[in-house]
Order: sequence, then C-alpha cells, then structure tokens
Amino acid sequence: MISLLGLYRPRRTPLHRAPVWFKMLLLLGISITTIAVSDPVTTIGITAACLLLLASTLPPLKATLKGMAFIIVIAALTTLFQLWRGEYVRALDLAGDLISIAALALAITSSTSMGAMLDFITTLATPLKWILPPETIGVMVSLTLRSIPEAARILTEARVAARARGLDRDVRAILFPSASRTVGFALQLGQALHARGIAEHGRAAKATPRPAPQGDDAVAPVLPSPPVREAVPGDPENSTS
Amino acid sequence: MIEFKEAAVVAPDSGVPILEPTTLTLTEDRISIIGANGSGKSTLARLINGLVLPVTGSVEVDGLDTQKNGAQVRRKVGYLFTDPSAQLIMPTGVEDVALSLRRVIKNRKEREEAAMAALKEIGLAAKADVSVNALSGGQRQLLALAGVLACTPEIVVADEPTTLLDLRWRAHVGALLRSLPLQVIEVTHDLDSAARAERTLVVDLGRVVFDGDPKEAVGIYRDLMFGRATQGATA
Repeated sequence: MISLLGLYRPRRTPLHRAPVWFKMLLLLGISITTIAVSDPVTTIGITAACLLLLASTLPPLKATLKGMAFIIVIAALTTLFQLWRGEYVRALDLAGDLISIAALALAITSSTSMGAMLDFITTLATPLKWILPPETIGVMVSLTLRSIPEAARILTEARVAARARGLDRDVRAILFPSASRTVGFALQLGQALHARGIAEHGRAAKATPRPAPQGDDAVAPVLPSPPVREAVPGDPENSTS
Repeated sequence: MIEFKEAAVVAPDSGVPILEPTTLTLTEDRISIIGANGSGKSTLARLINGLVLPVTGSVEVDGLDTQKNGAQVRRKVGYLFTDPSAQLIMPTGVEDVALSLRRVIKNRKEREEAAMAALKEIGLAAKADVSVNALSGGQRQLLALAGVLACTPEIVVADEPTTLLDLRWRAHVGALLRSLPLQVIEVTHDLDSAARAERTLVVDLGRVVFDGDPKEAVGIYRDLMFGRATQGATA
C-alpha cells in the first residue's frame, strides 16, 4: 500500500482534468453497481472499463503493478475458494468486483493531487464546522496518509536495529521502539503544524493576508542552484537532478 | 523586535527549570544561539514563535505577546526544524508549500503557482512534483525552508537546520539562511556559522551565560565545554 501513496503525477489526461467530486461519485457509483450486479458480462465489462481508466491516467508502472499485484493475489485466492465450492459465476463476480474497485481507486489516486483532495474533503466537511473546522478535518486526512510511510520506515529501522543487536526474534525489541518513535514523530509533526500555523482552530481561515513585499522590499533571489544530489536507488526522478 | 521579559520555562511534570528567567531584546538581523545539548537553547528559540510558552514573564514579537497573540506571532515568525521530515506534511514539494499558503491564498490554482514560484526561488523547481520521501536530506531541508518563506515571515528561527546535513548541503543551507533579507535566529552547533552572526547567545544549564560578540561567545562556549570535559575526566 505504501508505494501507492506516491502514485500521483501531474498530467493532462481526462481523469486528471475531471473534478474531484466527479471522480468520487464515479467510485461510489461503480462500487455500488459492482456489488449489486452479479451478471458475468456486466462484471467483465466494468472490470475492463476500470482497468482502461487506470491505464488512461498513465500511472507509474512499477508502483501500479505493485499495488495491483496485492489485489490480484487476494482476488485469485477468493476465486479459487469459490471454484472449489463450485460457484463459478460467484468466483468471477468477486474477482471482478475486487479488481475493478481497486483499479478505479488507483486511477483516482494517480490522477488527483493531495491539494485537490484536501480541498474536496474540506468542502465535504463544511457541514461539520460546528464540531471541527473543515480545514482541520482535511489536514487530519493528509496527516494520516503522510504518517503511513513514516510509520513503515520507523518499523523497518526498528527491525534492522533489533537484528543488529541479535534480537530479531524478539517482538518487544521491534514493537516498543517503533511505538515510542511513532509517538515522537507524531509530536514533532504536531509541533511543525503549530509552527506553520496550520489548522489553528479555524482562526487561520479568518487571518488577514499580509501583502507580499513589493519593489525594494521584495525577497531577493537566493542562491543560484543547490548542490546536485547523489543518486538514490529507485528514485524515478533522479535524472532531473 | 523580539523581547524576552523575565521569561522562564519549567518542565511540566517535574517543575525542573528548563530556562531561568531571561530578559533580552533581539534586534540584530543575524543572531546565533549556541550551547550544549539539553542546555535550553531550543527552548529559548521555541519561545520566539510560541511553540513553547513561558511559565512566568512574557515574550513579545513586535509588541505581540506569544501567549495572547500566538497565531499572529506565528505569521510573523517562521520556524525551521532540525529534521525536515517532521515538517513536511504533503506528498510532494509543491503541495507542501501550497499547504503553507492555504490560509492566505484561497484559490488552488493561484496557490500552486505561488508555491511553484517559492520552489523556483529556492532552486527546487525541478523537484516540485517529486515525492518528499524521494528527496535527499538537504533537499528536504530546502523544501521546509521554502514552506516557511512562502508565508513571507519577518523573522526566521532555525533550530539546528544543518545538523543532519552533509558538508555541501550544510554550506548551501547556511549560505541561504545568511542571504535572507529577514531577521534570522539560528540555533547551531556549527561554531563557524555561529561566529558569522552579528550577535551570539551562549546558553548553559538553562541560562544565557553570554550575550555579545560572536567570536568571544565561541571562545567562552569552548572553554565551558572543554572545562567540563576536563572536570569529568578528573572526577
């Protein structure tokens, strides 16, 4: 799942240009239809359409295949179970449902920027403004997504550290440092949000923008170009360094 | 102008003093803060944008009390952390800088254009759409700085911004901070960088033990550290 979070690439495909509300409605509509309809022809048709939609967003191949592989394995296991029970139509229906919903979700992930998603969630959460500012709800969703790869990184580092100490079979040596570091990361993130003045109990929304400095007061251009970074394995953007 | 008026901080549970009552007026454009680990220098820096609030006394930025006008103070004072990973929230650089701009620019397209301009200015335009996880430590720190500068603060407080960076990025980020036409307060272990400031504060055991000429401050700090090391070795 982790790799999927970096799927978005700015492009000019129809799905990229479609508004977020339309994409979410499409996901909802297709999900309901796939669950409600068990006709094999319709299932095959919807699955093919969803896969085509995913391909139309030109997502990064490796990450997409990695994400889909997991779903395909689950679908294959479910299909095998249904085949073993002799329910051939149900087997096709379940596999189709899983693959089509996953493909469509991936298509939306790869064609929607987090900023656009944040705006959508903020708008959607407006009726809840008496409970929590919509901006805060949007930031909460972003933070949740941001925290997943970070938590995975912390867990990996804890596992490596435990192995280095010869404690790779000791669950406590992995879980305790992971838990404490995750809490530490959450605290740091909270401080960073506070320092950046993001989601400050709705007061931010009422803030009067300060005009950007003009003329002689404008921020002078800074240094020409930063150092060229070293190659990072697996970084698809390395060539632009 | 930043004014500390008998500002003191204590640990919330134990009541142990973290920063003794401190009175300072900071007007210089380049101020460095040096001191040992755990001496209270980060607490001193965090008081400036209200990340830490004084238990007694007050801290004011241009007459705004950090306790009463926290949000306004944070619009004036940008804060750069040691570890940029904790400061970056959105998946890509341009989105992260745009997040900082949400409170001032409501239109998404305009916001993204402004974010792109901020990245271009700092030399990260080519990495605008790259995942923050794929950036090097130096690039992440630059991105965090771009997020801070995009909000046009009047003061930047940088808490050991180069500690996690290699030599070339340390030089680059250091030079970048020095080139900013803003008041920059840098907490640092890099004594060369500290010595380039106009004024240096030495913090030790929760007190500002020296406030003045950077070169003299570095000498005092060295004496403090080596004196303590010698005491430790002979004890």
